[in-house]
Amino acid sequence: MAVQGTEQVIHRDPALFYWILLPITIVMILTGVLRHYATVLLASPSKPPATLLESRERQALIRGINLRNNAAAAISSSAFNTRKEYLIDGYKKGTFLRGGAESRGQAAPNPMSDPAAMEGMMGMMKGNMAMMIPQTLIMSWINAFFAGFVILKLPFPLTIRFKSMLQSGVMTRDLDVRWVSSLSWYFLCLFGLQSVFIFILGNENSASQVAQQMAQANPGATANPFGPGQEPDKMFQAEAENLEVLEHWSVLDGAEDRLLQIYGS
Amino acid sequence: MATTSTTNPSDPAAVLRIAQKAPSVLAKASSVSTIFPASIFSSADSTELWQDVEQLLYACLRSGDDESAFLCVERLSDRFGADNERVMALRGLYQEAVAKDDAALRTILEDYTKVLQENPIHVPIHKRRIALLKSLGRPQDAIAGLVEFVDSFPTDIEAWCELSDLYESQGHISQAIFSLEEAVLITPHAWNLHARLGELEYMAGTSSSDHSEIRKHLTQAVRRFSRSIELCDDYLRGFYGLKLASEKLLGAYSSAKANADSTIPPEKLQQLSRLATSKLEAIVKERTGPRSSAGNESEVIAVQQLLNSSKG
Repeated sequence: MAVQGTEQVIHRDPALFYWILLPITIVMILTGVLRHYATVLLASPSKPPATLLESRERQALIRGINLRNNAAAAISSSAFNTRKEYLIDGYKKGTFLRGGAESRGQAAPNPMSDPAAMEGMMGMMKGNMAMMIPQTLIMSWINAFFAGFVILKLPFPLTIRFKSMLQSGVMTRDLDVRWVSSLSWYFLCLFGLQSVFIFILGNENSASQVAQQMAQANPGATANPFGPGQEPDKMFQAEAENLEVLEHWSVLDGAEDRLLQIYGS
Repeated sequence: MATTSTTNPSDPAAVLRIAQKAPSVLAKASSVSTIFPASIFSSADSTELWQDVEQLLYACLRSGDDESAFLCVERLSDRFGADNERVMALRGLYQEAVAKDDAALRTILEDYTKVLQENPIHVPIHKRRIALLKSLGRPQDAIAGLVEFVDSFPTDIEAWCELSDLYESQGHISQAIFSLEEAVLITPHAWNLHARLGELEYMAGTSSSDHSEIRKHLTQAVRRFSRSIELCDDYLRGFYGLKLASEKLLGAYSSAKANADSTIPPEKLQQLSRLATSKLEAIVKERTGPRSSAGNESEVIAVQQLLNSSKG
């Protein structure tokens, strides 16, 4: 057991600092920067619809959702009912579908064979890969070369709970918690360098976002309510049901009474 | 350039003030570098800057500073590429602005059509084409184009509002109301759209001949204006419309005489009209006062005329 009140002294080779601590830190920063640019390259923004009919299919659903959410605050009952009937009719008959009403009931295309859906899933995978691969590589690199080194002493005392966090890879029971192992230094860098990246790459990594924002004059136009593998027809049916059960009230009814109340006359 | 959002965009003086900032904004835009090592040291490549450049382009075109406008377009296409959808539309806008005559405009229209044939979902060019049709004096074609457009993009507010205006210019008030209602459905808290709908309902009410129709539309108009004031305190347009609509509706009640199935009782209408009058007087007093900020003067003058005529 470590004796209370006495300080453990470990003589570290200064080379540890130059050849382990610094390299790990620099490599972490560089991979962070690299990963940022890799994600920028790999990121495929939600693809705009390829045809007019596809855009209509997507936005028809958003239109229904808008009607459901905003009808109370926007339009009178008669205007609401005509719209509701039109949309429900269209949803049920499938007129908004990309392939027209005839394409209803056809088996959903296998998401593996549909290139558009495939791409959506690939996009998610690519994002995860860009995180995972460098992490595994660097961790195995550190494990292979720098395992078991104690490289750093924190200038403040810590409780014993931090031992597993700060001394992974060094299996000594008696070592003071303030000593940090090389593998733990890697983890600290992994989670703690966010502010450094913000400094280097700009706030919220804006470089990538500007280009995307400019690319679309109308951000809503590219929004895709259908996730990969979701069948538009099913979602239309569900939305039709939602609309059918909607009880309409209008904020316009009695607006003049409220106004008189506000101005108290 | 932060002033763009606070000042009235339809105020020519404000536009001119913005256009005069051209050199500083352009200098900032041209110093931006996006390549990695330089991007740390040069000025930030922020979204705001490029939005500023875009606003500057509009302001320059409106104030007749075509050279600065050209530079804006150049900067934008340097940064985002000449085939960027939005940059293409802005370039088209610039070309329309410097076009000499109708023949030149027609060639631009053909260019737009060509672009759309290659890429039918090019939203900004779609809109430019429709706007160009409108400015060529072919509102029917513009309406046809817009109807096609909103069929494919039914959640585009801009298109619905434009369609409403076009219908109104052609005298199809009920279609205009429908289109604007679609826009309000997307942004239910836009008080200016509510007031605009009130204006359209008022127009529908005044142009109709059937008594029950008139009353229906005018009631709706009163409610729309009330809603817009509810959403935005001291909204001049809302009060103006409220005064007109409630007085008109009172007139409609008295001319119909019998069957008093009025949804808004006449006493309430009188209250509303009185409220609107007093509010309008207060607003006029405030805006014409010595410490008034430079607001939209034409609106104030119109209100003054309305108040004078109702007194006399």
